[in-house]
Amino acid sequence: MDRSSDYKALGGKLVRVRLKEEKGLIQSVKITGDFFLVPEESLVKLEKMLEDAPLREQELRLLVDRFFQATRAQGLGVSSDDFVKAILLARGES
Amino acid sequence: METWRLVDIEYSNDPFMNLAVEEAIPRMVGERKAPTTVRFWHNSNTIVIGCFQSAKLEVNMEACKETGTKIVRRFTGGGAVYHDSGNLNYAISLPKGHRLVPDQNLQSVFQKLSEGTVEGLRKLGVRAEFQPVNDIQVDGKKVSGAAGSIRWNSVFHHGCILVNSDLSILGRVLNVPRVKLEDRHVASVQKRVTTVRDELGRDISTSEVRDAIVGGIETCYGVRVESGVLMKEEVGLAEELYQTKYSLLEWNLEP
Repeated sequence: MDRSSDYKALGGKLVRVRLKEEKGLIQSVKITGDFFLVPEESLVKLEKMLEDAPLREQELRLLVDRFFQATRAQGLGVSSDDFVKAILLARGES
Repeated sequence: METWRLVDIEYSNDPFMNLAVEEAIPRMVGERKAPTTVRFWHNSNTIVIGCFQSAKLEVNMEACKETGTKIVRRFTGGGAVYHDSGNLNYAISLPKGHRLVPDQNLQSVFQKLSEGTVEGLRKLGVRAEFQPVNDIQVDGKKVSGAAGSIRWNSVFHHGCILVNSDLSILGRVLNVPRVKLEDRHVASVQKRVTTVRDELGRDISTSEVRDAIVGGIETCYGVRVESGVLMKEEVGLAEELYQTKYSLLEWNLEP
């Protein structure tokens, strides 16, 4: 099933999630928006890490936190928490 | 005194080449083959989207066709901006570790490297202020937006300044999601931006603004800015980036 959300981060930036979900698992996800993330190439890694992840807050939070630790990515206008909330909003809960 | 290179190279009818040059310069600065550089340039009638944005979501494709507006993706994050000949673009490329931006924090980079532009605008009489995350505003209205990156062993910052742009087209070609406008209490993108011309209440050219910003950069950063040209290797890299990236629909319009 296709799911989508437009979530405004605390810093004012927009995180737009478009994902495919099957039985509560993320099949694929595309995250777009007007935020900053350095290095820029790391966003694709996050999308890849989220594949097959359950659409549940606890697991998502662990994954996104692990992404920031592993890549040492620097977000501006968007945080780890914002990515999690944007994905959960796509599921239909924030 | 430290000297920075000033280049005015532009391809105002080829936004794809403009963005290729934009990437070639920090790459060469990072390799220490080119000096610290300030570039000024124009695009005609173009939407430049951020590297994480979806062209399909952010851009009104029909309005672009009607108005002959081109769409190009830049290599930095941030939001979509509309460029026409009344819009002045500037870019600063520093080697990583430069004294002005020692901590590699993107917010500090935006703040520090906007100071020259803010100072230039103030010299002209515009009450400009840096507004985090990446805007320069006048009384709450955006007159300039910036973006940047820390990569290729360089620190890069660029921005566009609405000098005397046609704001009516801006409102047509960009889709701004309702959620984005909610906390600003304004109904459209057009109402939350302003131009240098409107703030001064007089006609002003982009070259006058450029000269003021050069002065602002020299004052704020204690450097001398001297006119220069791109090196042969930079031009070659820009041409390669044009062929392999910026002229391609896959880069500009996907996803």
